[in-house]
Amino acid sequence: MAMRHALRNIAVLGGLTVIAGAALAWFAAWTADDVAGNRAAAESRILRELAGVDVAATSGDLLLCERGFAVLRGFGTGYGGAFQLAVAVGADGTVQGVRVIDHQETPGFADIIAAGSPWLESFRSGDVHAVTGATVTSRAVMAAVQRAVDRMAGEGLCR
Amino acid sequence: MTSRFAEAAVSRNPVWVQLLGLCPLLAVSNTITNAIGLAVASAVVLVGSATLISLVRRIIPADVRLPCFVLVIATFTTLVDLAMAAYAFDLYQRVALFVQLVVTNCMILARIERVASKERLGRTLIDAVGTAAGFALAIIALGATRQLIALGFPLAALPPGAFLVAGLLLALVNVLPKTGLAPVDAAPVAEDATANREAAL
Repeated sequence: MAMRHALRNIAVLGGLTVIAGAALAWFAAWTADDVAGNRAAAESRILRELAGVDVAATSGDLLLCERGFAVLRGFGTGYGGAFQLAVAVGADGTVQGVRVIDHQETPGFADIIAAGSPWLESFRSGDVHAVTGATVTSRAVMAAVQRAVDRMAGEGLCR
Repeated sequence: MTSRFAEAAVSRNPVWVQLLGLCPLLAVSNTITNAIGLAVASAVVLVGSATLISLVRRIIPADVRLPCFVLVIATFTTLVDLAMAAYAFDLYQRVALFVQLVVTNCMILARIERVASKERLGRTLIDAVGTAAGFALAIIALGATRQLIALGFPLAALPPGAFLVAGLLLALVNVLPKTGLAPVDAAPVAEDATANREAAL
């Protein structure tokens, strides 16, 4: 009897799991194009706001390269996982703007990296400090921006 | 039927009477749009899960009923999450994490354990829709109040404002005994849980 009970439990739970998995797989495939389109549109909007001109959101790291001005992708790992930035840099290595394209930081703590936040704006002045309470996030973003700047200067891009 | 609906939505309001689902209530009630977004997401998950569980309630063994309930709730939550990412992306970017957290909302598990897993579809639907309406009523009221107060007093839109305004609204509900909104008392929940365990044994 105990065996039959166990088998029934396994059959019902297993069966439900298979049905749920199939439903999710089908719906994820059904919505995949719309979700990808939404993300691409959001990214284009961010890049246009950052650069002031339309920027093709290519998959490469160097998104825009004009005389003395470049927009680079920046990557890093914050508190909640990987994040992606767009960094606008002048030929002399000055940061002209930073925007977050994608992140998984905790809501609330992620306010510091929201568009137009005072902290994100402080990159333009070059005087940037880690943020109390969001140390991991802020340090990771600072390091990612620094790497983008170093690349601009080190490789002599877009002179 | 009306009385069952009114009971689920008002006199046993999940938020103001049972104090369930407070995490999303406080976190996502900063504006009325966010509140409506989360109310709709919670309603779809609650009504969808309750319907499905009610339909298959006879084949779910008592031993594994909780994993089955959570599986169904998680599936509906993920479906809503995907649908919002596909068709309401702006809202999704603001409330995504809290939509995913709908899965842990004890309000939903409570309705499924107490009603959907025992009653036939009609009664389950009335209860689920009533509870979802009660939650929507509470979170939209809080969202609207906070957004309104924040016009002159910005603190209301911030996390401390959520606690303050929710506490004041709860106090207001508590001084309205004649409306039938006054707390029935939380004890029946515990009694039911004991009864369920005994029934399962």
